[in-house]
Amino acid sequence: MSQVKKANVDLSSIIKNQQNLKFADEQIMLHTQDLKVFYGEKEALHGVTMDIPRNRVTAFIGPSGCGKSTLLRCFNRMNDLVDSCSITGQIILDNQNIYEKNVEVAELRRRVGMVFQKPNPFPKSIYENVAYGLRIQGVKKKRLIDEVVEWALKSAALWDEVKDRLHESALGLSGGQQQRLVIARTIAVKPEVLLLDEPASALDPISTLKIEELIHELKKDFTIIIVTHNMQQAARVSDYTAFMYMGDLIEFGVTDTLFTNPEKKQTEDYITGRFG
Amino acid sequence: MTTNESNTEGFTSHISKQFNEELEHIRTELLAMGGIVERQVHQSVEALLTGDVQLAEDALTIDLQTNAMELKIDERCTSIIARRQPAASDLRLIVSISKAVVDLERMGDEASRICRQTIELGNQGSSQHGFQEVRHIANLVRSMVKEVLTAFARGDIEQAFKVAKSDRAVDQEYRSAMRTLVSLMMEDPRSISSCLNVIWVLRSLERIGDHSRNMAEHIIYLVSGQNVRHQSITDMKATVDKSI
Repeated sequence: MSQVKKANVDLSSIIKNQQNLKFADEQIMLHTQDLKVFYGEKEALHGVTMDIPRNRVTAFIGPSGCGKSTLLRCFNRMNDLVDSCSITGQIILDNQNIYEKNVEVAELRRRVGMVFQKPNPFPKSIYENVAYGLRIQGVKKKRLIDEVVEWALKSAALWDEVKDRLHESALGLSGGQQQRLVIARTIAVKPEVLLLDEPASALDPISTLKIEELIHELKKDFTIIIVTHNMQQAARVSDYTAFMYMGDLIEFGVTDTLFTNPEKKQTEDYITGRFG
Repeated sequence: MTTNESNTEGFTSHISKQFNEELEHIRTELLAMGGIVERQVHQSVEALLTGDVQLAEDALTIDLQTNAMELKIDERCTSIIARRQPAASDLRLIVSISKAVVDLERMGDEASRICRQTIELGNQGSSQHGFQEVRHIANLVRSMVKEVLTAFARGDIEQAFKVAKSDRAVDQEYRSAMRTLVSLMMEDPRSISSCLNVIWVLRSLERIGDHSRNMAEHIIYLVSGQNVRHQSITDMKATVDKSI
């Protein structure tokens, strides 16, 4: 009888361990504090405070216009390019607020790389696309550039497909290959954070799966934040998911929990298709 | 605010009406299957206690219906998972239904076992050793089956917890009945054969109680999102209290 009891205890601890991904155990890569974004008079983000864990995939989900892309673009100050946009609050990266005046924006964007919805390769060769960031940084040694190009293309799971045509135009690649090339170009400058803004929404299902597989591989080396309209994609690729609605962060938690037993009714309604 | 706060029923307000209907349909089918199994258990016990072999044979044919429904509901669950990729409470509903049908089908199998024992006892001539115990446990188990189905229909975790708790009473009664029957067999070896048949019946009833408890656990998971399988009754109570 006592053996049976003991077995029960062990089993329940196993069950608990399966859901053990916890913020408390994570190292924090980025922290936002009461972040508000205004487009002119309109407040698009109403004071978001959250932690993004290091070497994890964090997904932002929510209906159109909820502020998820706006929040994503704050992490590498892409919103600076929008004239009417102003920001209050803080984003802390390595103990520094990235919105302080002395922050070098170009260096910030090297550390926090971004990939967009539509693949945007430069009208150059595959090799030159990946080498571009290094050349901008003033790297001249061909051997070093060769090494980085090969590493980046291998990391982006594209090397085998393009190694024999590195000097052909990148525009000849398929959409899925172009997106992986863009990811290779982004990681070639060794960023710390990768921002992915609906990276697979313009791709076919197989290319989408390749990108998702790639995200899974890349999180070993990078912290990844992904915005996606595809909830199944968020469920598949992310460790943590944030649900946003009308400029507010409604719920942020472990993906497994959020998709099986969300805390907030609004989250439940959105992920089960009851919204609207 | 665009959430539909008026929705207290839970499963009725998807943007896709078709999805609503599919979920509603599968719930209704599970409850219909539950009704059939409830009848099967009732008939099998009645057949035994009244020595009605014909009723036992009739109850055996119901099992074919239960098996067919298990397959049908299972297929529907698979199809909803494949086509709708349900999440949160929808996902829990499908997972719970897909597990509950297995428990219901097994309850049907146990009822069939009782019927087969009844037919054997009928062939051996009348003997009512242990029938008092059977009647007592059968009453407990039948009310568990009935209550667990009501709890499922209402999404009532308090009632589900009550069912899970009753399983302990069934187990106790089962052990006590076994002791009685063993003494009886020692006292009168001629009763061994019929007592063994009754022991099989008691065993089946006890198993039906276990399956009812399993179903109660699925309901608690469905409503609260907490997995209470393999938990003690005390831990389960804490989970249920937290979710109310």
